[in-house]
Amino acid sequence: MRRQACAPPWRRALVLSLACIGLLGAEAQSQESPAAGLPLEEQTQICGSCHGEDGNATEKGVPSLAGQPALALTNQLIYFRERLRRNEIMTPQAQGLSDEEIQGLAAYYAEQPLAPPDEAPDKELMERGRELAREHRCASCHRTDFSGQQQMPRLAHQREDYLAQAMRDYRERARGGPDTTMVEVLRNVDDDEIDALAHFLAHFERG
Amino acid sequence: MPPFIPLPLTRLTLAVITAGAFIASPLIYAEEHEPAWAQGRSADMADSPLSPHAAPLTVTPEEEIPLDHLRMPDGFSAEIWAHGMPGARMMALGDEGTLFVGTRSIGRVYAVHDNGDEREHVIIAEGLPQPNGVAFSDGSLYVAAINRIFRYDDIESHLTNGDDIPEPEELTDAFGLPDDEHHGWKFLAFGPDGRLYVPVGAPCNGCEVDPDTHATIHSFEPDGSDMRIEARGVRNSVGFDFHPDTGELWFTDNNQDWIGEHGPGDELNRLGEPGEHFGFPECHSIGIVDPELGSADACDDKTLPAAVTDPHSAPLGMRFYTGEMFPEEYRNAIFIARRGSWNRTLSVGYDVLVAKLSEDGQRADLSPFMVGLLDPQENSFSGRPVDVLQMPDGALLVSDEQNGAIYRISYETPDYVE
Repeated sequence: MRRQACAPPWRRALVLSLACIGLLGAEAQSQESPAAGLPLEEQTQICGSCHGEDGNATEKGVPSLAGQPALALTNQLIYFRERLRRNEIMTPQAQGLSDEEIQGLAAYYAEQPLAPPDEAPDKELMERGRELAREHRCASCHRTDFSGQQQMPRLAHQREDYLAQAMRDYRERARGGPDTTMVEVLRNVDDDEIDALAHFLAHFERG
Repeated sequence: MPPFIPLPLTRLTLAVITAGAFIASPLIYAEEHEPAWAQGRSADMADSPLSPHAAPLTVTPEEEIPLDHLRMPDGFSAEIWAHGMPGARMMALGDEGTLFVGTRSIGRVYAVHDNGDEREHVIIAEGLPQPNGVAFSDGSLYVAAINRIFRYDDIESHLTNGDDIPEPEELTDAFGLPDDEHHGWKFLAFGPDGRLYVPVGAPCNGCEVDPDTHATIHSFEPDGSDMRIEARGVRNSVGFDFHPDTGELWFTDNNQDWIGEHGPGDELNRLGEPGEHFGFPECHSIGIVDPELGSADACDDKTLPAAVTDPHSAPLGMRFYTGEMFPEEYRNAIFIARRGSWNRTLSVGYDVLVAKLSEDGQRADLSPFMVGLLDPQENSFSGRPVDVLQMPDGALLVSDEQNGAIYRISYETPDYVE
């Protein structure tokens, strides 16, 4: 049994200290995610309005969730919930979700198939991206097929615009979250290189 | 039965890299062409499945905490002292018995209250960037996150009375630490001189650093003034303590990744003179000259470790034992938590070592103390010790980051001992 013991007066101390630390946005404090407490089918409808019904996102800049390692999704949702990753949309969406709800959503999206992009790859960009991915050893964490593992997300067939933005955000330290590895990896990578990497990863096919 | 977590087992030939075949860090990569001697290696390394294991951010149910895996010498036993605290790492004890627990990824600081029978915990801070370091002095809790230092005054009376916890005093500007994120998480401890000791890791796996600002251990007055450099050339120390008799600073240090599976060994160090240089980045472990950054005489003016342990095994939290509960042979020995390796095909660590000091007090001999979280046959692990802490009654607490749990190790003389 789990003893989530917060008996008064300790419980009170908890609530007050959150407000005191001054790191929490007032907006997030009072709101709870519309998905919190709902059954999984209803939760996925809420997520799906941006991320696509089956986790294949069609909106610009919105990541696909389908086919991501469950732990990668779990961790990012917890970073949003804990306000470690700040995002106007996602930080509020994650408030009030329990560990179990987050793990349930992550398991669901990990099972959904991810479709490759419709448009054909640019040969030159692909070569440049392939070279850069080798140079920066992306595969050493994200696997040689870039399908991701554990907390490290799938990159293959992710939306190109999202990948490029995520890499820029890491480089500019604008993404938030405790992942310092990617900040270091992208420290000296310029915009053209990021665009080539994003194009290559979005269109990656084994073989 | 708690699960063991499988580790990637790969073709040994891929990942066994000798100490001579140095692989440049991504930082160096971006700026320079790959050196000739490493040609043909990078593709191999790109195929390596080795990468850091994620620390779970979710609660581990009590029945899945691997208590029954733990093995210690005769007479010692372990119990689950507290749990339900994802990411529990470094520990500090308040004057009135509250245990404060730092974390990394989940950004929280926990406070554990012991009512004698059971423990309750609350989250006293959240949303912080990797608040790993916790230290307690004179009624105040100090918390070190990446780039930021906070002080919570009279914290225990506020917790006990259920008062509002006042907003912490932020001392970040006074300490003026570098803002690098990589290896920017901090251990924190007060010395016998009343000063606060703060490590600043190298902002990279391996790179040139300014020896006065990075790869250092600094000390400060508690308000952040009067900074001194205590130790240089320390790649990333996440644990230290002070010898109970001499007051000397002893610290663990994690050596570089990707140099080799079998080297360089991680370190236990002793600071003899303030300002000593411990080698990073040009001299590693027991005097291994860095093939890229070190000249032939790079180790000549460096302080070598008091003891070395397995490469990549990640010795982190360590404390001298001064209690009365454990047998005499443990007095003034050091317990060292090893979080366990990732940059190595066959895993090592995931245990607690005991370091017994040589008679002259200059060296130490390491041996296993608490094992069982690593299953070497399956190459899998079920827990990751990060810190140790001696309680007033002489029992030893061990934090397990993987399971968000704290074990209490106690000793009773076995029946067969006269």
